[in-house]
Amino acid sequence: MSENYIYSPSVSNEFRCRVPLAGSRQFFIVDGQVQGGEKFIVPQETGLDFRLGKGETASDLLQFISVRSKERKENLSYRSRFELEESSSARILLCSHTLSSHHFMTDESVSIHLKANADLNMVVMQNEHDNSSHRTDFDVRLDAGAVLKMHLITLHGGEISNRLNIRLEGPAAECELSGLYLADGEQKVTTDVKLSHNVPGCRSSQLFKGVLDGRSLTRFDGLIYVAPDAQKTEAYQANHNLLISEDAKIYTRPHLEIYADDVKCSHGATVGSLNAEELFYMRTRGIALDEAKLLQQLAFAYQVLEKISNGQLRERLYDLTEKRLRGEFSRCSDCSRHCC
Amino acid sequence: MENMLEIKDLHACINGKEILKGINLTVGAGEVHAIMGPNGSGKSTLATVLAGKENYEVTRGEVFFRGKNLLEMSPEERSWAGLFLGFQYPVEIPGVTNVNFMKAAVNEHRRQNQMPELSAAEYLKLMREKMAVVEMDPAFSSRGVNVGFSGGEKKRNEIFQMAMLDPKLAILDETDSGLDVDALRIVANGVNKLKNPDNAIIVITHYQRLLDYIIPDIVHVLYKGRIIKTAGKELAREVETRGYDWLINQ
Repeated sequence: MSENYIYSPSVSNEFRCRVPLAGSRQFFIVDGQVQGGEKFIVPQETGLDFRLGKGETASDLLQFISVRSKERKENLSYRSRFELEESSSARILLCSHTLSSHHFMTDESVSIHLKANADLNMVVMQNEHDNSSHRTDFDVRLDAGAVLKMHLITLHGGEISNRLNIRLEGPAAECELSGLYLADGEQKVTTDVKLSHNVPGCRSSQLFKGVLDGRSLTRFDGLIYVAPDAQKTEAYQANHNLLISEDAKIYTRPHLEIYADDVKCSHGATVGSLNAEELFYMRTRGIALDEAKLLQQLAFAYQVLEKISNGQLRERLYDLTEKRLRGEFSRCSDCSRHCC
Repeated sequence: MENMLEIKDLHACINGKEILKGINLTVGAGEVHAIMGPNGSGKSTLATVLAGKENYEVTRGEVFFRGKNLLEMSPEERSWAGLFLGFQYPVEIPGVTNVNFMKAAVNEHRRQNQMPELSAAEYLKLMREKMAVVEMDPAFSSRGVNVGFSGGEKKRNEIFQMAMLDPKLAILDETDSGLDVDALRIVANGVNKLKNPDNAIIVITHYQRLLDYIIPDIVHVLYKGRIIKTAGKELAREVETRGYDWLINQ
């Protein structure tokens, strides 16, 4: 199977992803610098431009692996632009890692423009050390008939902030958004979504879930905006959180701003703890308490992961989620990348 | 012969209200006991206390299971020691598949008993074999535990789990409730196949119906937290025709 993996040739072994997925093509962004060029990619001074021409399909899963290394400890900002021309189609995996536990500060901006009938399936996987601080601003525009499926999986990191500004600008555009954030210790995760239905006849759905342990602090702020003329809008949002410890905190604020009258919209948020009846049932079958708790957390997380259509990637992320919830990541001081 | 289960003067409360008021019960290996009694007499409480649910407080008495002090053990330790509770209302666990659930349980039992874990193939073979005991469709293995199962399917799943864990003592709490005649027969046949001279079963039920299939050696009637009558299997039939009033008034 290994011949299916294509590496950017100039990247040194140290940065290589240990367990690449079959049928994936990997690109490395080391401290904001793209390594090597490719057909679709134009490296910028920091970050990159990705462009897919009209009607083109990128057949491989394109994996962009962004790593922070101790070579550049200062604050870093970079931007990536993804532009998919009319009726083009791509599957993209964005991974971000830190290679050591320095106090890395990263300010990233990702802009995505899907032109008419373009189709993008994007998975964002964030796995960084406890001292990292990483903010990502996603600025997304969908034209008529464009379809975006986006999954944000925040496995580990000191202070992770994802801000999404998604605009549906053409009729029949569709956006399916899901997210899973796991936090423990002193970690902080912020998710800010503004999803704007600016024209009639678009659909969007959002499912965000969090498993929060230790003294972690998380925030979810989700706004669905429906413009005055955006009739026949369908927009759904849900945010569910599982608090494992007494000291973990979540602030969740789902809200709607609707200026059209013929729409279907819903939003909801829940905050709960582990289910005592389920735990007892599992224990009577001989599953020890800690394992029963883990199974329940995994089940909760799986409802987000199961939305990922690439089976191999979904299984990988499921395994990583299990390792993460077993506390294996916090034992790694220099290897967050190698688990992936 | 060593007793399987020995309950001495067991008292238990929930939220400060005493439900069990001095239970005495001894179950030997190879025996089938039935516990009957009107609603609210404490039957399910007894089963739940024996399985180790934490919100019940044992205020007096002792329970020995195969010579060990049961009340000092956690629910999982009781399971490892060979105790099984078939739930009256089996719990749904969305997102955990039946196969992963039972694999975790079986392998934990094996680890606790210093046996190597089963390989995936060995596990599948065992699972198929035990599913056949209760005529369960193998398609159920990939579904969430009890999620969307009918009442009968849930009870079959309980007996399937019992078959997988091969307990020394199984307490079946109203396993017959919500079952139609066919499902009742399948579930009861499953239990009978698992019965052997080294294990024991306590069947908790309202009705004689189940006891036509699983024949008890001894029948107890529980009322207001105490066992008020113990006799042979004919007691069940008598309760069916005469109700409980004649016993209560005795």
